[in-house]
Amino acid sequence: MTRQMSNPIGRGSATESDPNTSEKFKFWIRPGQMVNPFDIVAAEHFPAEGGDEPSYTFGLVTNIRHITDAASHLANFISNDFGEEVDEAPQTPRQGANVAEAAVLSNSADIYMPVQNESRVYFADEDKIHLALGIDGIPQERRVPAGLIQMSNGTQAVAYLDRHFVLGPEAGHVNISGISGLATKTSYAMFLIQSLLQTGPEDEIAVILLNVKYDDLLRIHEPRRLSDEERRQWQQLGLKPEPWPTDRVHYLLPWGKHTQTTGRPNSFADPPPPHKAYAYPLRETVSKLDLLFSDIPDPTGTLSSIIGEVMTGVGGNEIAWRAVQTWDDLLTKPPLVQQGIPQKFRNIQPSSVGRFLRLLRRIVKTRQSGIFVPQLSARMTTVEREISNIQGGHTYVVDIARLAPEEQTLVFGDVLRTVYGLYSGESLPFDTYEPPKKVIIFVDELNKYAPARGHGETSPILEQVLDIAERGRSFGMILFSAQQFLSAVHERVTGNSATKVLGRTDSAEINAGNYRFLDPDIRNHLTRLEQGELILSHPIYRQPVKIRFPRPPYQQGRAQK
Amino acid sequence: MPNPFQPLQNALRTLVENAQVLPATGQAVVDMVTPDLEEIYDQRTTGEATIHNVCETDARSLYRPVRPIPRSEEHGFRYFVDGSARTYFIGTVLEQDRSTPVQISQVGAAIVRREDDGRIRVADSRRTILLTLEKSQVSEPLWQALEHALVGVPGYTLCDSATNNRYADAIGLQEPRPRGAHRANWHMRELEIELARSLPRANDEWLVVDGSLGNEFETWRGAPLVGVAKTFRRDSRFELGTGPRARKINLFGLLKDLQENQRTIVFPRNNESKIVFWYVRIRPQKHLDYPLMGVVKVEMPNPDRGPVDSHLVDRISGWLVAERRVSPYGRDGRWHAHLYPIYIAEQVICSQFYSEEVLKSGIQWPF
Repeated sequence: MTRQMSNPIGRGSATESDPNTSEKFKFWIRPGQMVNPFDIVAAEHFPAEGGDEPSYTFGLVTNIRHITDAASHLANFISNDFGEEVDEAPQTPRQGANVAEAAVLSNSADIYMPVQNESRVYFADEDKIHLALGIDGIPQERRVPAGLIQMSNGTQAVAYLDRHFVLGPEAGHVNISGISGLATKTSYAMFLIQSLLQTGPEDEIAVILLNVKYDDLLRIHEPRRLSDEERRQWQQLGLKPEPWPTDRVHYLLPWGKHTQTTGRPNSFADPPPPHKAYAYPLRETVSKLDLLFSDIPDPTGTLSSIIGEVMTGVGGNEIAWRAVQTWDDLLTKPPLVQQGIPQKFRNIQPSSVGRFLRLLRRIVKTRQSGIFVPQLSARMTTVEREISNIQGGHTYVVDIARLAPEEQTLVFGDVLRTVYGLYSGESLPFDTYEPPKKVIIFVDELNKYAPARGHGETSPILEQVLDIAERGRSFGMILFSAQQFLSAVHERVTGNSATKVLGRTDSAEINAGNYRFLDPDIRNHLTRLEQGELILSHPIYRQPVKIRFPRPPYQQGRAQK
Repeated sequence: MPNPFQPLQNALRTLVENAQVLPATGQAVVDMVTPDLEEIYDQRTTGEATIHNVCETDARSLYRPVRPIPRSEEHGFRYFVDGSARTYFIGTVLEQDRSTPVQISQVGAAIVRREDDGRIRVADSRRTILLTLEKSQVSEPLWQALEHALVGVPGYTLCDSATNNRYADAIGLQEPRPRGAHRANWHMRELEIELARSLPRANDEWLVVDGSLGNEFETWRGAPLVGVAKTFRRDSRFELGTGPRARKINLFGLLKDLQENQRTIVFPRNNESKIVFWYVRIRPQKHLDYPLMGVVKVEMPNPDRGPVDSHLVDRISGWLVAERRVSPYGRDGRWHAHLYPIYIAEQVICSQFYSEEVLKSGIQWPF
């Protein structure tokens, strides 16, 4: 895999108007030599104190400029017979050079004097790439393969993440952004999860995946045929190209309107994988009722008051609420309704109660997909029940692809709330069950649940996500999230993600402030990334790097077709 | 980086210890040579302004069409030589009632080769630093002490501005400081000639020398070369033929009708024809301000003195017209007649010179 440093590819160049600094350096490139942005180069530098051998300053190529001695474009026009000659090559090609700009990553002897003029510059080999990025400092047992760095000269190096900076305790969470389809966000999240499971004590980690699109994640136990090249890439990374073990994947699919008669869950999977069907009867849902109203504006707090009353009354089985056993009961019976008319409840006006009922009816009756059921039957389970029994080394796929938006929020919030309860110590255990040390929760389209909002605006689901993002790491809860636009997600969520991954992004998006952590040249490169290419930013790395990763070894459902 | 002018300190100390020195105010000051030096030198050294003869085998017309010949078709011009000189006044030496300016010159010349793909590489170069004084204005012991101080110091030469200074002599310069600057330029010309003579070339590898050919080339029988002058004497007159069809025309008249892709007939320089010359328009007049712009004067050794083969001159002119792409427009005021490889050769030398800041900081009188 490694290709040793061989011939110099150019020399350091510092001029009066464009000097090298401790942060950046430039070098001209030997004619005929191919260099591209994101190549990692090593420039010879002063020897370490008392040594004879040169040290190396490593740089990430961020841009390449072609300069000539033409004073202006007019000079080029005039040089071609005043624009008359466009076919023939010039008698003497104009003097020009390609000059690369590199962001300093590190120096092998911790020397941060600027790279000197005329210093020889080489392509870094794999060892030096690791040295440059700081990977050499990651203990072997903490290294998590995160992709392949491929350089213009054919050198390849594995980009490793530090497990402690992905799963804690040092830092945690992963956020992935990019245009749908081109950025391969879900595939990358799944690859990284597989990498974490294969390279660490997998029994210590449970994984919860939310399937939000088609049946993308509903066949992860089924193998997929890989080409020899794809297998070779997996081997290069030190990973096994295997699907999830069948006995360690648990699919939770939603109960649908017709599931009772057809036996089929409300899912895109056809046929559905071995699964359990989950549903939401009132009594098991009332503690999460607030989640159903996450997207409803409530500037006066009236809605939350009613929700609070219902949660307390039904949840606490108070006398006034004993007749309320189902969703229908809540919508049609006292204490909120009498003879079809909304009633004043405590100090809440009938009109406010009426609004609550209208909204609730729309969610659980009119537009519901079938998950809101009167009672749980023997064929049903709840998300809370399943998630509160997660085991290390097992993966739980919760399908929400066909649910209405409010339902999706409820399920996602239910997952988060259940996990948070398990790990934060808020719920009191009554048995000897111990959750695994870590749980990874992956959700796409995070912007739906934690949108970027004006200061002070909040919602129950957002609070839940922020809890996980800000405090989850210390309890062992790790959020893997994805969305098309980084700018569309709450900055406290993205800010707490220590590892950021960026795929192809459109040009309007990259000008948002969320991308300020990237060098402007690298930022522009985001618009040119190909499918399967990602920019990886990790706390250990001094600069983001471009990586590739192999195709998934499992079936991707409709997305694959 | 160590002080590149350190080797000069002994010589400066010799001057300080053996004479009185008035240092230049504000450290070194650039001394310029006369503008249009080449034109004046051409005027003063090429003999009669009036030309009476032509000197080529097919002399039927004053102008001949020229077809541009790109290197992809015939790569004639392979080598290009040019030089550069920068002179700085650093002080005045007083000895008894005599005085002389003290000047430092960076002088160099480079010869570049053009490969088949058009890329340029440096074939050879020379560079030296001159310490120039007027020898007659210092005592013999002081001059000897200066020579002694520079013995064994490579790259440094002690120079007398009064002798071997044909530029200054040609234009009648008497002032010592301008003479020093012109002495450096003459030295540059000597370096160019030395390079042109010493570089081994095949017989089909032509060399282009920047400017007029000196009389040194009158007997040249080595590998082929031409001199290409951007600026040239303007007082030339051409009185060709006799009788009613005789033509009398001055240079402006000759060149105003010289069209794009044309050359003039070949004329002898002096009456001896040891060097012949002609003019080629390498850029169309319609884009230029003045009839003389876009025209180069080509000189070629003709040691046999016979008429030059017209077809050879046509080919050389064709190569030259092809050289108009590309041009150093915006970098040099003479871009319209400047050959780009010559410009590169000049840049090669200039890039080797120490900057004015380095020179000013590096040269310190050891008071």
